[in-house]
Amino acid sequence: MAQPRIFALIAVAAVGLAACGGGSTGGAATNKPDKVQIAAEGPFTGDQASIGAGALKAIQLAVKDFNAAGGVNGTQVQLLIWDDQHSAQVAQTLQAAGISDPTVLGIVGPMNSGVVLGSVTGLQSASPPLPFVSESASNTKVTDSGWSVAHRVNARDDAQGPADAKFMIDQGAKKVEVMDAKSDYSTALADQTETALKAKSIPTQRDSVKAGTTDFSTIITKIKSFGADWVYFADEGPEAAPFVSQLKQANLTIGQNINFLGTDGEEDSSIITKSQGAYDGAYATNITADPAGVSGSAAAAYVTEYKAAYGADSLNSAGPFYGSAYEAAQALLQAIKNSPVNNGKISRADVISHLASDTFTTIFGSVKFDSKGDVQGGGIYVYQAKGSNMVVLKQVSG
Amino acid sequence: MGIFLQQLINGLELGSLYALVALGYTLIYGILEMLNFAHGDVYMVGAFLAAGVAALFVHNEVAAIPAGLVVGLMVVMAMGGAGLLGVGIERVAYRPLRNANRLAPLITAIGVSLFLESAVQVWVSPAPVLVPSNALVPQTVLHLGGLTTPLTGLMLFVIAVALMVALDAFVFRTRFGSAMRATAQDREAATFMGIDVDRVILVTFFVASALAGMAGVLFGLWHATADFFMGYLLGIKAFTAAVIGGIGNIRGAMIGGLLLGVLESLAGGFISTQFQDTFVFLALITVLLIRPQGLFGQPLTDRA
Repeated sequence: MAQPRIFALIAVAAVGLAACGGGSTGGAATNKPDKVQIAAEGPFTGDQASIGAGALKAIQLAVKDFNAAGGVNGTQVQLLIWDDQHSAQVAQTLQAAGISDPTVLGIVGPMNSGVVLGSVTGLQSASPPLPFVSESASNTKVTDSGWSVAHRVNARDDAQGPADAKFMIDQGAKKVEVMDAKSDYSTALADQTETALKAKSIPTQRDSVKAGTTDFSTIITKIKSFGADWVYFADEGPEAAPFVSQLKQANLTIGQNINFLGTDGEEDSSIITKSQGAYDGAYATNITADPAGVSGSAAAAYVTEYKAAYGADSLNSAGPFYGSAYEAAQALLQAIKNSPVNNGKISRADVISHLASDTFTTIFGSVKFDSKGDVQGGGIYVYQAKGSNMVVLKQVSG
Repeated sequence: MGIFLQQLINGLELGSLYALVALGYTLIYGILEMLNFAHGDVYMVGAFLAAGVAALFVHNEVAAIPAGLVVGLMVVMAMGGAGLLGVGIERVAYRPLRNANRLAPLITAIGVSLFLESAVQVWVSPAPVLVPSNALVPQTVLHLGGLTTPLTGLMLFVIAVALMVALDAFVFRTRFGSAMRATAQDREAATFMGIDVDRVILVTFFVASALAGMAGVLFGLWHATADFFMGYLLGIKAFTAAVIGGIGNIRGAMIGGLLLGVLESLAGGFISTQFQDTFVFLALITVLLIRPQGLFGQPLTDRA
């Protein structure tokens, strides 16, 4: 019985000291927070490291730039790296540590829709809830479920699928092979596109490849016997180069007797070299803009900075989300900076309300979230492989 | 019929890749009764070594070196490098546990596998890298009636089968082969007969890993790519092939690999690619239910 009493005494003493400390800080009239942490969450290793690694580098750069500009009223933001490895279970474990630490004010990420959907209830039910700004989760449920913590800077599947279908039809598609890569993101998007194609009476054939598949001869034989004139592959990237190389080996040449439309990971110009030119002429749409492909001095300056920090050829392995990751980090950091500081502390509840109400300045211009947490005016961008570059053709919609 | 035959060709090419890697699982299991789960990643490292050699000579345009020589160097580097890696893994991760609980080396094997994947991802490339096959081997597409195959695919099949025949001869026709089989049958008795068991095990690891390295080269020339995750799925498939054939049985692994490739190709081609792997593993379950020792395995004894 003695022990709890001692603890109680210590606790009372501690509260007293804290009260004094708080009073004196208040007396100095400073709004400098004691400690500010944010987390970067995504698949930084594992099967999707090719999209996660570049995003992490972008977030690290964003935090460095933000700190160099003074941080949050003089306090340097500390970045926690949460590598969820594309697994909601791992994400929950990582997030639990952040939820219990009130100085962790927000997450840039998670990147995968499946991870968001598998871990969001923990973030939402925390007290106060822990907000996140994703740079790439596109499943409609991420923001349609009414979670106040959920935000994203990328466009949604239900914008991308119909836009992709319409683009192919406008280009004269007659028969479309629809492929997915068996992930929450990829299957949902392929479903959206296939539905939109069927609504316009375009015959489709559906196939799936598992992540890590490197031989596509079975599917390519099916594509030939189906007689498709377009191949639509909803994928985050790593399978595209071997797939189009093998199309060419099977005498299906993009731009001649077959057309190709890929999605987010597939607007990556390194696919052209990695497929030894077989990708030339292929199209890809993305739910975020590539800073190297859009006009605007802020985006161009960022590209220069990224190359300076990580090497001249670093864009080849930056993945599709190195722009949106920086953008998401900028939005979160500005929301934190705009939040009030009380006794050296910033409340996550205030960060959430500032995410909802403020307009943020990013490398892609001004950004504001709507009431669900979706970015306003989030666009779908079509790219085409020309020579050794992916060129932005236009912004499209369904 | 044409499509059936085309899918059969696709399956045989893929299956010969499975078979080459499956041989490694089966050789090592035969000798040590352990599953070397890192074996798929040894294949991956072999592919990266080949990609590295190719990139060195193709991108820098050391024009004086003919393509054939570059391919030769790729083979030497990949087979030698993968072989030494296998030996190193055995020395560092498995030998200290040789007399430990059977679960212990299995768990280290998974650890080694994750280590290799992460090491390549962090130190080499998180994204797939190119094997510049266009500059190295003719990109001819062979036609026979309505059937097609890239020359590199046929090359993969022919070389894989030749290597399997050579391995079979090595194990069953040479003195060292009989030492291997003796070690597989009874390690202690083999020691008493004057066989240097440690050396047999090292050579087995070298041969198994070199075959995986060669599989990496052939794959690179066939599909022009290498990535750090490529050994994971292929490793599981090759392991499945080894089990279907009867783990520990060399001929079983060859047949199992080819069978699995064909099965996968036909299931994907005629049933559904969404459920392709379901049928592959359904076949595994069926085989194990009817013949638990695998198609060519013998119960318990005589494993090599």
